[in-house]
Parts: sequence; C-alpha cells; structure tokens
Amino acid sequence: MSVDFTLDLRGESCPYPVIYTLEALEGMTKGELLQVITDCPASFRNVPEEVLKHGYQFAKEPVKNGQEYLFYIVA
Amino acid sequence: MKAILNKLFTHYWNPYVALILAGILSAIYFGITGTVWAVTGEFTRLGGHILEFFGADISDWAYFDLVHMQGSSFSRSDGWIVWGMFIGALIMVLFSNNFKIRVPKQKRRLVQGLAGGIIAGFGARLALGCNLAAFFTGVPQFSFHSWIFIIATGAGTYLGAKIAKTRWWKGKPSLTKGDKKPSAEKSRKVQPYVGGIIALMYTGLILYFFVTDRPLLGTAAIFGALFGILIERGQICFTSAFRDLWLTGRGLMAKAIIIAMAVSSVITLFVIVIYGMEPITQIAAPSTFIGGFLFGLGIVLASSCETGMMYRLMEGQILYLTVFAGNIIGVTALAYAWDHLGLYHALVASGKSINLISAFGPLGAILATLVMLSILYLLTVYRQKTYRFAGMRSKKGEKKYVS
Repeated sequence: MSVDFTLDLRGESCPYPVIYTLEALEGMTKGELLQVITDCPASFRNVPEEVLKHGYQFAKEPVKNGQEYLFYIVA
Repeated sequence: MKAILNKLFTHYWNPYVALILAGILSAIYFGITGTVWAVTGEFTRLGGHILEFFGADISDWAYFDLVHMQGSSFSRSDGWIVWGMFIGALIMVLFSNNFKIRVPKQKRRLVQGLAGGIIAGFGARLALGCNLAAFFTGVPQFSFHSWIFIIATGAGTYLGAKIAKTRWWKGKPSLTKGDKKPSAEKSRKVQPYVGGIIALMYTGLILYFFVTDRPLLGTAAIFGALFGILIERGQICFTSAFRDLWLTGRGLMAKAIIIAMAVSSVITLFVIVIYGMEPITQIAAPSTFIGGFLFGLGIVLASSCETGMMYRLMEGQILYLTVFAGNIIGVTALAYAWDHLGLYHALVASGKSINLISAFGPLGAILATLVMLSILYLLTVYRQKTYRFAGMRSKKGEKKYVS
C-alpha cells in the first residue's frame, strides 16, 4: 500500500478538515490513495462519516496516533 | 470495569445520548434553581468586569443592569455554570489523553476566529441568548423568541457556510505528494492523572460550597461540570448542526439536537405545571431575528459557537482563544450599543414577550412545540438525503456521486 498524497491537517479546525479532504479526493484520480493526518477531535468522527457518505472507501482502519488520527482513503 | 472506563473515555459518546442527557439535566436544573443553562449572559458580565477593571463607569449602562452585575463571577450561579463547563470538559479531555496544543498553521484562522467571535457574541446578546437560552433551553421554556432565533440562525449559518467555502476564506491545505510521517507518540500517559487531581480538587470545591451553606453555587458547579462533560464527550456542536447541513448534507447533530429539545420540552412542561413555576420568557422583537442571523453568521466564521468554543479551548485548540476574546468583545460592544447607540429603541422596544403556555395553555404549547420540531426534523432528513458536497474542482453538471 503506497500513499500517493498526504493531507496534513494538523492545527485545522472544523469545517476545514472535511472540506479539504473531500476536495483533495475530488482532485485525485480514481484508485489513488490519500493519507490524512488530523488532530481536530471533531474530525475524528466527521471526516470518516463524510468520506463514506460521499462514496469513498477506506484502504484500512483509521490509526489512532496519540492525539492525532491517520486516515487512509481511496479516491 | 477497565473495559467500561476505556469505552467511556477513549470513545466519543453517541450525540443523541449526550444531548438527551443534557436536555433532561437542563430541565432538572431549571426545576431546582428557576434559571436555565446559559453562558453568554455571564460572558456579558465578564465583559463588564473587564471594563470596571480598566476604570470605566458602567453603572449607567442599561444592559448591565438587565443582566444583573452583582458580585463576581465566582459568587454567581451563572458563573459556576461557565467555569464548571470549562472544568468538566478539561477533565474529560485529560482522562482521554487528548490534550494537545493545536496551533492553526494558517494565521488567517486567528483573524477569522476573532471576527466571527465578535459577530456571534454581539448577535447572541442582541437576541438575548445564544444557542442555549434562545434555542436549546429556550424552546423548552416555550419562549416564542427562540422560534424566531432558530429560523434566523439557519439563515445566518447558510451565509456563513457560503463564505467559509470561498477560496480566500478557506485558504489552502498542506497537500503533498507521497507519504509523510505523523507525530511521534509519547509512551507515558500523564494526562489522566492530572485529570484525576483536577476532578478531586473540583469535588472538594463543590463540597465546600455545600458545607459553607451556598447550595446554589454548589448545584451550579455540579451541573456546569456535567454539561461540560456531556458537550465534550458527545462533541456537541450547535454550529455544525446547521453548517454541515449546508456544506455536506450531514444531519446527525441537527437531528440529535431536535430530539433532545423535544424530550427537554416535555420534562420542562411537567416541571412548570407540577411546581407552578414561571417559564423564562424573552422578548420577541426585530432584534431577535437580526441577532439570530448575526449569531449564525458569526459561529460559522469562527468555527464554533459560545458553547463549542469552551470544550475546544480545553482540548488545546489555540484558535478558540481568539474566538473567546471575540465573544467577550462582541457581547461588550452590544452592551454599549444597547442604549448608547439606541439599539434598544430601534430594534427591541417594539417587541413583546410571548410565551406559548400563556398563549395556548400547557397542552397547546407542547403540541405546537412538538409540531414545530417535527417539521425541523423532516426538513433535516430531506436535506440529508438530497444534498452532497461539491468542491471547487467539480464541474457543473458532472455527477460524480451516486448513492
């Protein structure tokens, strides 16, 4: 599993993690892998929800890394 | 036991559970004290204290008279609701080992937070309450001004969401090619222990209030902490309830708030009827709509309302320091404009306090409230089903998402 793009959202608060993630996925080619690093607690919940609702899949389970989460999403 | 604790503190709670509990608690708090769960009134008093500290004479400001400036924040029950919320949220953040100084990388966020905070604070007090007293605890008091406030906040957040999506406001993310390493994880966990010490000290303070015959302060300190625990654990965000409907069609938070308001309304009605209490009714006037609209706009621009700001600040999100400062500046500016700039005569004096119980009786009031909430719920479900996010890059007419 190789990451094509990384979205580093550390320090960003709502609603920008969701907006940035969905926009990044829109701009990528289908099948590419996006890594999201986020530390906004609200985004631990609303990013995965929105990603799935907008029809994308997770490449693997989210990783909790201390006060951050890592998401791996297939565009 | 360990598994239960782990579940409680490492996972966020279902927002329905957290909000319904908050709705029940706020009805009980009203039954005990005759006041409601609210925060911006106290923010206004804090603004007044700051003015006094710098030597300003505020004795003739009508708005400070209206919110009763007596004593200090630590000798008022409304004060302990606010400090209790901060402390309760902080204890939860520490228990879940989730405190981290989170600094926005884009400096524009700090300016946006300050500007949004000012607008939200000003609007909330113009309407005589924020998302609590004019919304979450206003509807269950059957105060008609909260109905106007909800509609106006809906409109304000819509405009806010439009602005937040523009390129110049939104800014640019750090999107890089390839892999990037996350932060190194610390192996030692000290935060839960710090949280435990704070919890013990706070319990001692509550006992002290009761022992020294100040049960009202003790009660407020308990309920404040419980509200703080619930909003942090449930990640309760009134801003996102509206904003996410406009941005991405997310309806979870909105639906949870509506259901919780319905539960709270029923219980509050029983409290009012059984104990013969007077519901808290605020004036419904043009100021309610304008204030609600400004509040809605401000909370989206600031990324948080006056309530959500509190637990986010405790999570270590530096952005919310500027939002908090903005809120205090906004409420103080409103207190000044109230009489000095004639806002009261222009926008408030023509209004009327309308309570649904006095207008339609208890049964009529609860039926009208439940019908209104049902309509809001159905509108939310409709939006959730039909709307999806479309970013800058998606071309017009191109349908990428098929559900």
